[in-house]
Amino acid sequence: MGGVFALMIRLHLWNPNTNPTDGLFEPDTYNQIFTLHGAFMVFMFIIPAIPGALGNLVLPLQLGAKDVALPRLNLSSFYLWLIGTILAVGAIVWGGVDTGWTFYTPYSIYNDRSVILMGAAVFLIGFSSIFTGLNFIVTVHKLRAPGLTWFRLPLFIWAIYATSVLQVLATPVLGITLLLLVFEHVYGIGIFDPQLGGDPVLFQHMFWFYSHPAVYIMILPAMGVISDVITVHSRKPLFGYKMIAFSSISIAVISFLVWGHHMFTSGQSEFAMFAFSFLTFFVGVPTAIKVFSWVATIWQGSIILSNPMLYALAFLIIFTIGGLTGIFLAILNLDIHLHDTYFVVAHFHYVMMGSTAVGLFAGVHHWWPKFLGKTYSRFWSRVACALIFIGFNVTFFPQFIMGAQGMPRRYASYMEEYQPYHQLSTIGAFVLGLGILIMVGYFLHSLFAGKPAARNQWGGVTLEWQSPSPPPLENFDEDPVWVGEVYDYSHLKAEEMSR
Amino acid sequence: MSHDSHGHGGDAVGFHAPHVVPSMLFFKVLVALLFLTFITVAVSRVDFGSANMLVAMGIASVKAALVMTFFMHLKWDTPINNIAILSSFLFLSLLFIFTLADISTRSATDPALNEVAPVLDYRERWGLLEH
Amino acid sequence: MSDGHALPTTPTPAGFVPHEVAHHYNSHVQEYQSWKLAFWLFLATEIMLFGGLFAAYFVYHDLYPETFRVGGQQLDWRMGSLNTAILLCSSFTMALGVRAAQTSEKGKMLTYMILTVAGAAGFMVVKYFEYTAKFSHGLFPGAYFNPHGAYADAFAGLSGANIFFGLYFTMTGIHGLHVLIGAGLILWMIKRGAAGRYHSGHYLPVDIAGLYWHLVDLIWIFLFPLLYLVP
Repeated sequence: MGGVFALMIRLHLWNPNTNPTDGLFEPDTYNQIFTLHGAFMVFMFIIPAIPGALGNLVLPLQLGAKDVALPRLNLSSFYLWLIGTILAVGAIVWGGVDTGWTFYTPYSIYNDRSVILMGAAVFLIGFSSIFTGLNFIVTVHKLRAPGLTWFRLPLFIWAIYATSVLQVLATPVLGITLLLLVFEHVYGIGIFDPQLGGDPVLFQHMFWFYSHPAVYIMILPAMGVISDVITVHSRKPLFGYKMIAFSSISIAVISFLVWGHHMFTSGQSEFAMFAFSFLTFFVGVPTAIKVFSWVATIWQGSIILSNPMLYALAFLIIFTIGGLTGIFLAILNLDIHLHDTYFVVAHFHYVMMGSTAVGLFAGVHHWWPKFLGKTYSRFWSRVACALIFIGFNVTFFPQFIMGAQGMPRRYASYMEEYQPYHQLSTIGAFVLGLGILIMVGYFLHSLFAGKPAARNQWGGVTLEWQSPSPPPLENFDEDPVWVGEVYDYSHLKAEEMSR
Repeated sequence: MSHDSHGHGGDAVGFHAPHVVPSMLFFKVLVALLFLTFITVAVSRVDFGSANMLVAMGIASVKAALVMTFFMHLKWDTPINNIAILSSFLFLSLLFIFTLADISTRSATDPALNEVAPVLDYRERWGLLEH
Repeated sequence: MSDGHALPTTPTPAGFVPHEVAHHYNSHVQEYQSWKLAFWLFLATEIMLFGGLFAAYFVYHDLYPETFRVGGQQLDWRMGSLNTAILLCSSFTMALGVRAAQTSEKGKMLTYMILTVAGAAGFMVVKYFEYTAKFSHGLFPGAYFNPHGAYADAFAGLSGANIFFGLYFTMTGIHGLHVLIGAGLILWMIKRGAAGRYHSGHYLPVDIAGLYWHLVDLIWIFLFPLLYLVP
C-alpha cells in the first residue's frame, strides 16, 4: 500500500505542474498521499518489518528456545498492529490526513479531525512495537540455550536486542505525545498550541525523542541481518565480533542524545542546536565500525554469491552512501541549506528503503528455505535483486542532486529545471516496483511449487541451522546445547563449505 | 526434555521459592513515607528560592526509592530488573535535560522567541461554550 | 514432547490449585523470572509515558512560573494530602497482600487486597469531589478554561492558566485511569485468589498486580508536590 502511494507520488511528479491543478492529483490530495506513504511505510511497515516478521521466527531459533518468552503477548502485539492499521485506513476514509508523517503542530491541531484517528492508530501500533521489544528482551535474557553466553550470540540477536531497548524506552514518549495531540483536538489542552500559550516546538522535542531512536529501530535489525548473512556467505567468522556487538548498543544509547538535529530550523535555541549537532557526529563512529568490520569479513572469505549475499553487498553500497550523506546533514550550517529539500528525502530513503528494506530482503532470502522448507528460483531472484538495486539508485540518486540545488520536499509542483531529475526518479521507481513484483512472483511460486530445502541450506553455524527445515512446533527435535565459539566455520563439512 | 520426569511435587532445582519479608519492615516503610509526606507539605511553606523544585523533587525521589526498594522488592530482586527500571529514569532525564536546555537558553539568542504568545479566545472553533 | 505428558507443576500446599509451568519454559524459575522482567520493562514504559507529561509540566513551569504558583493554590492541598495518605496505605496493604500470597495465607491475602481496592475507591471518591469543585468554578482544562468570579481575578494578568489546568486534568486523569485499571486487576486477583489459585508455589500474578499498584503510588508521589504544592 505504501509502495503504491510512492508510485502515485512519482507519477504525479512526472510533470512540473506549474499550474497546481494540472497534475494527476489536486495539491491537497497530493499532500494526503505523501502523508500516507510516510506514515504507512514508517509505522506499519519498516518499524515492525524485521523484528515482527524475521525476529519472531529467527530469534527463538538462534537462541535455541522453544518459543519467545511470552507468546500470548506476542499475539496481542499482532492484534494491536492489526487494529491500528484498520484505524489508519479508517482515517483515510474519514477524510485523509495531510500533515506529513510527523504530525507537526500547530498545523495538525487545526486541520481535519481524522488526525485523531491516525493518532490513535499510531498509538496502538506503538504499543504493539513496545510489546514486541519487551518480549525480545525477556527472551534474550531468560531463554538462551545452555552454553550460549552473551558473547556467543549471533549478531542478529545483538542488533535485535539493541532495537528492543529502543522500542521499550522511546515508544511510550511517542504514545503520550500523540495522546496529547488527540487531547489537543478533543479539549484544546493547549500545550502544543501557540494560540493557547503553548509551544509547538515542544511537540517536536517529544516527537523526535521517539522518532530519532526510531530511525535506529528501523536500521539496527537490518544491520544485524547483514552481519549474519555476510559471515555465513563468506564462510568466515565476523571480523570484530565484539566491536559490532558493542556498536549496536552504543548506537542505541547515542540515538537518544541527538534528536534535536531534526529541528535545526524550528526555532530551538542556538545552544541546543550546537549541542545536538556536535553529538550527532558521534553516531558516525559505531556505524563506521560496523561497515569496516563487514568489509574486513568479506576480505579473503570464501564468498558465495548467493542471493542473500547479493542483497548484503547491495546493502553495503547503499548504506555507505546513505550514511555518508547523513554526516553532511549533521553539519549545522549545511543542514540549514539542505533542510526540507530532496537531499534529506534521498538520504533517508537510502537509509530506510535502500538499507532497511534491502536488509529485510537479504534476511528473507537467507531464512526463507529454513522457515518454509522450500527453495526459490535462483535466476529470477537474481533478476529481481539487480532490478531493485538499479531501480533504487536511479530513483534516489537524482534526488540528492535536486536537493542540493534547492528542490524542496513535499511540493506538488516544481520548476521546470528539475524535470529531468524528476523523470529519471520516476523511471527508477517503476524499475524498483517491477523488481519487487518479480520477487513476490517467485516467492509465491516457491511457496506452492518450490523444491524442498536442506536443513542447512547455506552452511550456517548458528543454532537455527541445527533445526529441521521447516522447524517443528517447538523448534528443535531435542533441546539444543551450545558448544564452542560463535561463527566457528572450522568444523563445517567440505560439501557444506562449498555449497 | 529434562523436566518431564517431574510430576506433582515440583522440581527442586527449577522451582522459584518466594522470598518473604517481615511485615514489620513494610510497616516501618509506611511510617517513613507518611512522615515524608508531612515534610513535603511543610517544606512547601518555606521559600528556598530557585532550589524549591530541587527540594520537592528530592523528597519525592526518596519516597519513590522507598516504595521501589521495599514495597516493590527491588532490594531482593535480580540485577537486571533493577537495571530495567533505573534505565527508564536515566533516559527520562535525557528528555528533561535536553528539552529544558533548549527552553531555558532560548532567550540568549532572540528575546522575541521567548515572548509569550497572546492567548486568544478561539473556543468558538467548536461552536461550544457560548457562556 | 509435551503431548500426552502432564506439564510439570510447582509444590502446592493442601487446598490450593496446582500451577502448571507453561510448556515452552524449561523451569518454573525461568517462567517466573521471564514474567517479572517483562513486567518491570512494562513499568519502565509506563514511567516513560508519564515522563512525557512531566517534561511538558517542567517546560511550562519554566515558562509560566507565577501562573503555576497561583494555579497550585486553587487546588486543595488537604485533599491532595489525604489522597497521598490513602494511596500510601493501600500500597502498604498491597505489599502485605503479596506477602500473604507468598506464605499461602489465603484469608489474609484476600483481606489485604480488599482493603487495597477500598483505598482505590476512596481515592477516586476524593478525586470526584475535587473535579466537581473545579468544574463548578469554571476551572476547565485547556480551551474550555473559563473561571468564574474570584477565580478569574486570581489569574488576572496571567497567561498560561489554561495550560496549568490542562496539565492538571490530563495528568491526574491518566493517573486516575491507572488507579481504576489497578483496582480492576486486584479485583480479578481477589476472584481467582478466592478459588485458591495463588499460594507459595504460584504467587506471580498477585506479585505483578502489586507492582502495578505500587507504580500508581509512585507516580502520585511526584504528582502531588508538583500540582498541589507547586514549588
